Amino acid sequence: MPFKRFDQARPFATLTVLVIVWVLVPTAVKTFSRASFFELTAPVTVAASKLRDLREYWALRMHTNHELILAGQDAANTASSFEFAVSQNQELHAEIARLEGLLRLPSFNDYRYEHARVTRRDFSGWWQRIVIRKGANFGIPVDAPVIFTGGVVGRVAEVHATTAIVELISSPGLRLAGVIEGDTRPISFQGGVNATFAPPTGLAESVPLDVIATPALAKRLVTSGFGGVFPPGLVLGTLTSATIGSDGLFKTGEVLLDERLGSLTEVTVLVPLVTP
Amino acid sequence: MRRTLALFVSSLVLWMLVTQLNDMLAGYQVYVFAGSLFVAFAALTQPHGPGLAATILGGLVCDAHAPVPFGLHALLFAAAHLALFRIRDRVPKADNVASIIVVLLTNLALFLMFSFTQISVAPMPGVTWPRLIADLVCSQALLALITPWFFALQARALKLARVSRFDP
Repeated sequence: MPFKRFDQARPFATLTVLVIVWVLVPTAVKTFSRASFFELTAPVTVAASKLRDLREYWALRMHTNHELILAGQDAANTASSFEFAVSQNQELHAEIARLEGLLRLPSFNDYRYEHARVTRRDFSGWWQRIVIRKGANFGIPVDAPVIFTGGVVGRVAEVHATTAIVELISSPGLRLAGVIEGDTRPISFQGGVNATFAPPTGLAESVPLDVIATPALAKRLVTSGFGGVFPPGLVLGTLTSATIGSDGLFKTGEVLLDERLGSLTEVTVLVPLVTP
Repeated sequence: MRRTLALFVSSLVLWMLVTQLNDMLAGYQVYVFAGSLFVAFAALTQPHGPGLAATILGGLVCDAHAPVPFGLHALLFAAAHLALFRIRDRVPKADNVASIIVVLLTNLALFLMFSFTQISVAPMPGVTWPRLIADLVCSQALLALITPWFFALQARALKLARVSRFDP
């Protein structure tokens, strides 16, 4: 009879042993195992992404020469306007450097731009992350800011051999400091609730009481530059509402993020340059 | 060993397909969770040791790609495996409908347990639940469709590995 009793309890005994083993295993072993399992499956993710690229390539090959000529003309127009912007940008950088020298101001962080393809998107209600096709092999560090044409994408959460994981600004786990464009008072931004079939959103806290934001009178929220990770002035989203919080000292609001965050195919990682 | 490897390779195929599906659904803010498929076949039809090992390996693959403490998926899957293993004599293994019901109920339990471990990170936990429920509905619909196929795939993988399909 006692043997039968133990047989019935065997699954629970096994589970207890597993929990004890899991608790007792050193963190270093867990970290190594995590990295090993990730690298074991990384080629699958990268191969699927490259197959997708190949499919797009062959789809583009189906276009006629006339369509390609028109696309080339559009690209040439865009390139000429960008060339002008680049020359202006260089002049502005030189002016900033001259003023920093004159006023002995600390200079802004300088970055190297590393463009990377998105291999996988993982947008659950628990977290929002993407995997990019560059990692330690391109010198991408943890916590590096990631941007796209619409503003901030997020920051690098994990770096692996040939891939890196980016935590999006729509992820509930990501917090950073922002300011309303033209204002200097910092606002706390956190990724928010991302409803199904709706654009991603974030949550703004510690909004000053005099800030009024409605869908018709939306305010642009940009990075503040505080904390040193994100350079100032990058677009986070638009503050579409601001209601007085429970403490009565600040307002809380909803930040509408760029819809393109859900369909990103290419992003840019800002790799900080270490100044001697 | 061959049995565990055959089941683990099938789990890898499942993981790859689910991640690709989630990638496609990302623009719609829809996410599918198929945790119970990593567990059900091994728990219902396979011997205790190799089945549990394959389930834990599948859980560790999920853990490697998720921002959770390493081993959380593996532990939850192991718990589900052990619970299913205990009741498997009462489940008709050859009946597709019974298998689907077991998979759906297991997935519901795993999804809720996992959500409770993650909900504390959300800025407004109460408002997060509608999104999670929508994801759960999509996941259950997908599981109802693919469970028979995935069970057949695992059975075929075992046949290729030249091991018997059922626990002798």
